[in-house]
Amino acid sequence: MREEFRLLVGLQDLDIMIKDMKDKVTTDELKNMGFKLEGLEELLTARTKLASKIPTALLNRYEKLAGHYKVAILPVSGNQCLGCFVKLPTSFFSSAYSHELLTCENCGRMLYIP
Amino acid sequence: MESRKLASFFEEDLCIFSLRSRKKSSVLQEMVRRLATAGRISDEHFIMEMLKNRESLGSTGLGMSVAFPHGRSLAIKKLTVLFARSAGGVDFEAQDGENTKIFFLILAPSDKGAEIYLALLSELIGIIQKPQKLEKLLTVKDYASLVAVLDGDE
Ligand SMILES: [Zn+2]
Repeated sequence: MREEFRLLVGLQDLDIMIKDMKDKVTTDELKNMGFKLEGLEELLTARTKLASKIPTALLNRYEKLAGHYKVAILPVSGNQCLGCFVKLPTSFFSSAYSHELLTCENCGRMLYIP
Repeated sequence: MESRKLASFFEEDLCIFSLRSRKKSSVLQEMVRRLATAGRISDEHFIMEMLKNRESLGSTGLGMSVAFPHGRSLAIKKLTVLFARSAGGVDFEAQDGENTKIFFLILAPSDKGAEIYLALLSELIGIIQKPQKLEKLLTVKDYASLVAVLDGDE
């Protein structure tokens, strides 16, 4: 997997955690179980740092998709887009594209071949 | 959590009855390594980053010798639990300042909501709040006895 995709996937995991930490139902439940949740600022700093390593155009594309979908970037598995479950064209799997970031033509999510 | 038995979330190859690591980050690494060698995760790096980020919010060591590292990642496909025990205990920065001996690592996929791991966390916390169960977990040495503690009546 190319470094940029790795960074994007890491960013997405971090965004999901930040979203959980901003969600009152989730945080209330965790606090009731006894967890302390105090370092949101640290997470936001880590996010800024990570995002700064990603090329701007790619980051913008991710941000736009992340606004729509729970998961904006995901690996291809089988011959489907696991975001919208549409079947992907066979040309997708030719070796010429195996290192490229691909786009699902149906939903627009970013796909990579793991 | 519907009627699914708690023990059904635990798999024999995802249990470590004698952790070798003695430090917080290496314990996380040892557990994540096991998930990788057992083929449950696609990338150790993502899981480690996520778990470290989660710990930065506050240690998941709740005290009473038990910690619940948890979170969601693209690198995991389904709700997965790993059990680990350290006889000597590890400084996991637990809330009571004591060493941590029992670890329940809970990972959920990123395309599902947080509720899928919250329900499991809550059930497991219910278990460790029962003194007899906690006492047994602290010395559990094999999968069969772990299952017995998790699903037993007492
Ligand atoms: Zn799609």
